[in-house]
Amino acid sequence: MRKRISAAAGLAALALTATACAGGGTSTPKTAPAAGSGSGSDAKSGGGTELAVPTGPVTITFEEAMTIGTLKPSMDKLVADFQAKYPNITVKLQGDPDYATMYTKEKAEVQAGNAPTLGQAYESWASYFQSAGKLTPISELAGTDTPPQLATFYKGIQDDTKLPDGKTWMWPFNKSVLILFYNADLLAKDGQSVPKTWDDYAGVMKAVSKDGVTGSTIDPGSATAAAFGTQWFEILAKGNGATLYDKDGAPHLNDPNVVKALQYLKDLKDAGALATGKNYPGETALGAQKGMFDISSAAGYGFENKTVGGKFKLGITALPAGQAGAVNELTGTNIVVFSSATAEQKAAAWAFLKFITSPEEQAQWASTSGYLPVTSQAMTQPAMRDFVAKNPYETAAVSELDTAFALPGFNWIFKCQGYEATAIQEALENGKQPADALSTAQSACAAAKAQG
Amino acid sequence: MSTATRARQATAAPTRPPRRGAARDFRATRWGWAYSAPAVLVFLAFVIIPTGYTFYVSLWKWNALNPALSKFKGLGNYRRLWESTQPAFLSSLWHSLYFTGAMVLGGTALSLALALLLQRGGALLNGTRLAIFLPHATPVIATSMIWTWIFNGKFGLADWILHSLHLPTSQWLQSSSSAMPAVIVYSLWHEVGFTTVVFLGGLATLSHELSEAARVDGCSAWQEFWHITWHQLKPVTVFVVAITAITSLQAFTQFYQLANGGPAYATTTLSYLVYQEAFVFSDTGYGAALAVVLFAVTVFFTLVRRRTAAGESHALV
Repeated sequence: MRKRISAAAGLAALALTATACAGGGTSTPKTAPAAGSGSGSDAKSGGGTELAVPTGPVTITFEEAMTIGTLKPSMDKLVADFQAKYPNITVKLQGDPDYATMYTKEKAEVQAGNAPTLGQAYESWASYFQSAGKLTPISELAGTDTPPQLATFYKGIQDDTKLPDGKTWMWPFNKSVLILFYNADLLAKDGQSVPKTWDDYAGVMKAVSKDGVTGSTIDPGSATAAAFGTQWFEILAKGNGATLYDKDGAPHLNDPNVVKALQYLKDLKDAGALATGKNYPGETALGAQKGMFDISSAAGYGFENKTVGGKFKLGITALPAGQAGAVNELTGTNIVVFSSATAEQKAAAWAFLKFITSPEEQAQWASTSGYLPVTSQAMTQPAMRDFVAKNPYETAAVSELDTAFALPGFNWIFKCQGYEATAIQEALENGKQPADALSTAQSACAAAKAQG
Repeated sequence: MSTATRARQATAAPTRPPRRGAARDFRATRWGWAYSAPAVLVFLAFVIIPTGYTFYVSLWKWNALNPALSKFKGLGNYRRLWESTQPAFLSSLWHSLYFTGAMVLGGTALSLALALLLQRGGALLNGTRLAIFLPHATPVIATSMIWTWIFNGKFGLADWILHSLHLPTSQWLQSSSSAMPAVIVYSLWHEVGFTTVVFLGGLATLSHELSEAARVDGCSAWQEFWHITWHQLKPVTVFVVAITAITSLQAFTQFYQLANGGPAYATTTLSYLVYQEAFVFSDTGYGAALAVVLFAVTVFFTLVRRRTAAGESHALV
């Protein structure tokens, strides 16, 4: 017995020693000094100096998930254009198959002290990195928290670059909003017109759900990941006039207008006009002519088009409006600069960020990837004019970037979206009353907020 | 050789340790420790120290990105186990036990039945053995992806078969009531091949004389199986039950790929919850507390099994 106790004590001591080794070396990073003399001409406020483009050879790494479909060639073109302009800077892409994998890798890299220079990040991810002192604020790169480029972005995009502390920590990248894809031939055959309001939409969904066709199939999301179904629910709630979260993140998931949104979905499900699934089920059902509508990101156009494969005319339109008017939610990620980068890498990263959000590159990027341009100046570029001429929906989608909302950038909002998704599943799959399901979600989200 | 020398040898001979004893003592020598050291070090580095470290982390609100910012919480993370509602800890524990129970009972019965059917051999039966074992050789993540489509409510093979047989179809992974059974169906498909081979190995070692004697004495086929065959297979059964219980408690990949722990936490087991909290939500301290509890549950079942297996074949487990 004594031997066992001694062994346990030894083990504990060993574990504690290992812990001390692991934890002791990490500390809050120091702010890197601005690189080079720099022109500093763009710095308008804040009293800092903008980092100048480095003149010597620099390699920056970019953790990104633009690796499938048309996204990969679009991403490669963006990098090739940048490297052609700045031959001394090498951008090394670290591609990941999906966002979840990318986030896991980013966290592991940061923990291992081997963070990339740049990484795609949702607002809540950025919040997590920032709270651990692992991000570089934009002010350190631009010399000001409000660099002049920021003002050229759509209003919704501008707001989305800030965290709740009011500072700019992110730079926009692959941004989009939700739009409505539909089977135009089948809709016409059924004698229905494109719905303009959510009430219209419910009526059309019920009317077309027959002969093996379901109005729409959605992925409600899961406890660990929001999906377009989760975002549609949030849009419906906002469209009803609800405030889902205050600026400080306080949740209002049991607000009557939020309950009304979930009741709307439940009524559609009970009427056989709405189904649920996984892995972009709406797109699959639409392509197989088993679904009439699919609510998805504007950036999904290439994928929807490929799935439809010319079998019918693919209709695209802006989302219907709610009682509070047209409401949309931003999708896609921003880019963050990790604090472990060297001064030269930060300077190169800043040059890269400015380059990819220039009007010319945004027009090129948006017209090939399907994502929306973050600046209105891109809309007058030839590439974008051609794209809009072929895809009229783009104008309506882009116009919503000024008003599109994003959830507050707190780490735990990620959890709360999981609670929303679970409430949707409880109501649609388990027959739970929307008020009860959302009351549970509200309690869980409030607890997550309290835990921080 | 002198008489004195012979006398010394004769005196010394009885004190020389026997050969078997020398082999035992070798393990306690420096060479014994040296030979064991690589394995011990690997075990220490990858199992013992991480286990101790996990317990340590479970006492903190752990900041994985910057451990210096971690805050000591004592047993706070363990208290959260009882306060959590989304999902409730006890419901996750129940899902783990539900899955484990189904896999142990279903997997053992199914693989024993298959082994009895396939024990005779021959080209056709050998081919069938191979077909049954093949799923076990496939990666869980890859076949789970395929089964996601088999369980698809709109286009899936499972519902197509049910529909063709005029049987009621199911929502499979989309419904809280059918999601766990669907994961169990997949897991049985993947795991039964291995346990069937284990039973086949056990059957190959049985004495046929006892069975013949039983038949001569007028035993029915069921009596022969129950009293003769399965009785002799008890050590193998104990091994199958133990290995299935342990792997089922630790099962993760199929829950991750097939159902993401849903819908509405219906397939959130303890091992999935550890992943969700520690690696998705980055709530590392709470995730570590869950891992410690999962460790304790596994140890508990292992000890229970060892106690109940006393007198059976210790060599197998």
